[in-house]
Amino acid sequence: MRRRFATPGAGPQPLDEDTLERLLAGDLPPLEAPPGYAEVAALLAATVAPPRPEELNGQAAALAELRALTRARTFPAGVRQTGRRSRRRLGLAVVAVAGALATGGAAAAAGGHLPEPVRVTARSILVSIGDAEPATPVPPPTGGGMGPGATAAAPSGPGPTGQAGPAPGSPVAGSPAVPGTTAPDTKGLCRSYLAAQDKQTGKQLEAASFDRLADEAGGADKVLAYCRHLLADDDKPKEGKQKPPPDDQGQGQGQTVPPSTRTSR
Amino acid sequence: MIGPDFPEVLRAAVAGDEAAFGRLWRDLQPRLLRYFMVVSPAVADDLASETWLGVVRGLDRFQGGEPAFRAWVFTIARHEALDWRRRGARRVTELPATGFVDQAAPDDPAVTALEGFSTRAALAVVAMLPPDQAEAVVLRVVAGLDVERVAEIMGKRPGTVRVLTHRGLRRLAERLGAVTRVRGLV
Repeated sequence: MRRRFATPGAGPQPLDEDTLERLLAGDLPPLEAPPGYAEVAALLAATVAPPRPEELNGQAAALAELRALTRARTFPAGVRQTGRRSRRRLGLAVVAVAGALATGGAAAAAGGHLPEPVRVTARSILVSIGDAEPATPVPPPTGGGMGPGATAAAPSGPGPTGQAGPAPGSPVAGSPAVPGTTAPDTKGLCRSYLAAQDKQTGKQLEAASFDRLADEAGGADKVLAYCRHLLADDDKPKEGKQKPPPDDQGQGQGQTVPPSTRTSR
Repeated sequence: MIGPDFPEVLRAAVAGDEAAFGRLWRDLQPRLLRYFMVVSPAVADDLASETWLGVVRGLDRFQGGEPAFRAWVFTIARHEALDWRRRGARRVTELPATGFVDQAAPDDPAVTALEGFSTRAALAVVAMLPPDQAEAVVLRVVAGLDVERVAEIMGKRPGTVRVLTHRGLRRLAERLGAVTRVRGLV
């Protein structure tokens, strides 16, 4: 534990309420402070000195959060009108983020931010991908709430760290398809998709293909688990592919409880 | 302080205006960092980032003026610090590197503070207070919150916060006075 201050017998005198308040507010020049408190006044003044440059680093990361969230808040209406497109957008983002996390360097290029918190970087990539797809007009920010619909399109959802979701190889909750009944080329698409996830091979799925997978999986965020499940059934011997991708950066991030949910009681 | 512009700045920030949000950030980020330098110095940067994450997420639900906004931000900040402490495993690294001793040692932060009163050294001295006193002082001074808001954030009565800050300042006076005497500065 912290060590306590020494407590000499004859210390500085107690302060009256007014003097205490002036000291705390920085309204008491050291020379006017009661005996023994001049240093305290100077010390407190130092704690509220003007910001140093290094204290103002990191604004870009905070702005990236804001951008991602503002965009997520504008989505709910769009999701209902153009469900497929939104799903595809998210799907593309998932592929791109997985690739960027695997290669690392791509993060700075895509997001324009250094990869300090990877989560932030991933979101900024998601945002920039959203920007790159002009087809869906984004309504002006309304500040409207973060209702249930928002989570479907929120980049902070299961997107970049979706690997942390369902246990690999286990039956996927909500997955409508039974592996045995799946058309053969679905597996081909899944293989391509997983390959693009594992390492950025450059051969990412076309949007239409991803949409198809997303439809079969029951959602863009379920594609990964769906494909793993599907192929795991197919190639039992290859245990290796059931492991999550090597870039385990997202580990645990999905479980982070947003502070706002705790503080907005 | 943002001042009279605050309602407009907040409204714009909620709507996603980055310049407006940047003003809020630049006003509060240094204060957040300094708060964490006192309550969880080993992870001050990380906790400040986490705090902003919470602010961004809750921004559209916040209602109130600038003092209330500050109090809200520091409420989130305190939750982050408590959470981090609960996670606990790295608790050891949270302790200040420099132990406090009765006689002023050359690396005593109080000595450093008296020599230059650098912000960092000053915060290190405040951090040597008993935790409740240190937090009360830093919330009053660095966060610039009034007694009632600090009491609410810390979950204590206003009278208790007054006592904590008073004791904290007296201890600081004792400590700094001792350093001054030892060094023959008086």
